[in-house]
Amino acid sequence: MSEHLLEIRDLQARVADGGIEILRGVDLVIEPGEMHALMGPNGSGKSTLAKVIAGHPGYEVTGGDVLLDGKSVLDLEPDERSRSGLFLAFQYPAEIPGVSIANFLRTSLNARRSEEEGDLDVFAFQKLLNDKLGLLQVQPSFAARYVNDGFSGGEKKRNEILQMAMLEPSMAVMDETDSGLDIDALRIVSEGVSTLRGQDDRMGVLLITHYKRILGYLQPDQVHVMLNGRIAHSGGPELADQLEEMGYDWLHEPEPEPVG
Amino acid sequence: MSEVTTITEPGAAIDAQGSLERWIQSRAEPELLASRRREGWADWLAEPMPTRRMEEWRYTDISGLDPEAYSPVSTTGDRARSKEDLPGPVREVLDSDRKRSAVFIQHNGTVEHVRVDPDLAERGVVYAPIDEIAGSHPEILERFLFRSDVAQSERKLWALHTAMLSGGYVLYVPKNVALPHPVHALRYVDEAGGLVSSHSLIIAESGAEITCIDEYLSPDLDAESLSLNGVEIFGAENAVVRYLALQHYGRGVKHFSMQHANTGRDSTLNVFNVTLGADLARCDVSAHLLGPGSESEMLALWFGDRDQRFDHHTLQNHAAPHARSDLLFKGALAGQSHSVFRGLIRVAEGAQLTDAYQTNRNLLLSDKAKAVALPNLEIEADDVRCSHGATVGQVDETQLFYLMSRGLSRPEAERLLVLGFFDEVLSRVPLEGTRERIREAIELKIGLSR
Repeated sequence: MSEHLLEIRDLQARVADGGIEILRGVDLVIEPGEMHALMGPNGSGKSTLAKVIAGHPGYEVTGGDVLLDGKSVLDLEPDERSRSGLFLAFQYPAEIPGVSIANFLRTSLNARRSEEEGDLDVFAFQKLLNDKLGLLQVQPSFAARYVNDGFSGGEKKRNEILQMAMLEPSMAVMDETDSGLDIDALRIVSEGVSTLRGQDDRMGVLLITHYKRILGYLQPDQVHVMLNGRIAHSGGPELADQLEEMGYDWLHEPEPEPVG
Repeated sequence: MSEVTTITEPGAAIDAQGSLERWIQSRAEPELLASRRREGWADWLAEPMPTRRMEEWRYTDISGLDPEAYSPVSTTGDRARSKEDLPGPVREVLDSDRKRSAVFIQHNGTVEHVRVDPDLAERGVVYAPIDEIAGSHPEILERFLFRSDVAQSERKLWALHTAMLSGGYVLYVPKNVALPHPVHALRYVDEAGGLVSSHSLIIAESGAEITCIDEYLSPDLDAESLSLNGVEIFGAENAVVRYLALQHYGRGVKHFSMQHANTGRDSTLNVFNVTLGADLARCDVSAHLLGPGSESEMLALWFGDRDQRFDHHTLQNHAAPHARSDLLFKGALAGQSHSVFRGLIRVAEGAQLTDAYQTNRNLLLSDKAKAVALPNLEIEADDVRCSHGATVGQVDETQLFYLMSRGLSRPEAERLLVLGFFDEVLSRVPLEGTRERIREAIELKIGLSR
């Protein structure tokens, strides 16, 4: 295989407008069909990495590169990255009162279609939506609700999975999708991810998590540990068990830099 | 004053009492209308021109408004023989597959089509051009036409509207008759430089129930046109009146709409303004809660772009006790557009146990757009519940990023957020067909449909 699905090369980034440096040289390669878990303590830069990959305007890249299918995405706007196949499942999805999930999804799908293709036929959209709702075992009435408006934590994450199912990304970054979920919600979300991987065996997943709990439902091919803005350690699924047992302290931290 | 030689021709300028007199004569209309016209003209001459020194006109300068600069729109008196005779944009609205209990179409000064469901006509529903009513049902005009309590700040333009009246309708719905579908009036203007002064007189007798739509359309006009519009609604005891004004004129139009709704005991009123078109649109919307236990809901949406100027002034006039009024006006502004909202809740001394609420929210989509919000209370009763509030804000960057991360371009994401912002108001429209008509017009304006 000549190109990786996702390749992160020595990525450095800081808070926009000259803020503190958070990513200090991240290297990571994900091949089609692989699922990687990214773990690490609070403040290590996991969520920043997710946002930088998606193009969040709150951060600026000061060095390195992010490549999807061998092409740099750093010059692309967030919407262009999405249309190239990237998907970010948010840790804290925004609430958008007044916009129904169905309308949002239809607009998102139409945004992917060329002028010649025109908008997706209403009936075709409805069928697609019903199929995905069925696949994820979500009530059809869910799609009529306003995007995340008044949703429980579990409902918000389920909505992220539904969007992922509809948009069929080649590479999904899931930012602490498991945080704040009770055991039922966690199971539902994990099953959703498994189902989608089953549908598309070439989809890559980067699962960012603070807890080992979700790894009881999803078995990653590799586990990485992020400390102080870098990947400090990588290994197989057994690494997660070690972390559970021993915490992060036994890992060698890259030398800390003064935070200003 | 200059001498006007040709006055019988449509398009002749009006400039003096003499020419107005001849213009009135040329219209060969009943004395009832002619005398109202003369009174209006006298008021127009007597009333001072609003200036920016008046609180109500502080943000909208009309001191240079000169009716002589416009020609009254033509009135041919010819009805359309078939649909093909109607202007294209009007046909498009009619073609949409929606049920209507009655339709009224005015093209410039000419009423081209009126149709009422025959069953309803049989039950006494009247829907006809004002000048026709002057002949057939003068008692209705005697009782209701130009009978609203017009505020001092509005009188100058109201007088001009009265004097220059060129079209409009009367809708009269007898006791306990409920119209199954909306009554839809379309007014289309394509005479550049014209002055159109159209009136809607809506009367719902006790227990009657109606939904009434006034839609205003024009292409972009290359010479400025003036649209003066008066609306009077009288809802008797226990009546339910839902009124929608959907204004999507093209550019080149100055639109002034003066709306007065009067509620009888225990009646329900809903007045919804959607302002999308014209260079300048000024809406004065008043609900006079005259009957105890009556209820008024006032809603509005506007979307401005380029250099459009929208100005909405409202009055929730609580004259009777136990009445309730609610107002929710929301505007989004792009380009260099500006808007003004000035709302007054007035509670008279005897209007105890009033509930009155007023909210205005504005969303700015550009650095150059501007919204002014001036909510106001004037309360003379002591046992009331009133609240008012206004906000001006920008698009939420967190929401924007979320939408963009799903593939929507920034403009697409902004448009979706605007629709979401409007939904709070739109979802209060009970009839789905009406709601969809508004949504279509808004989507067309903000460019969501491609």
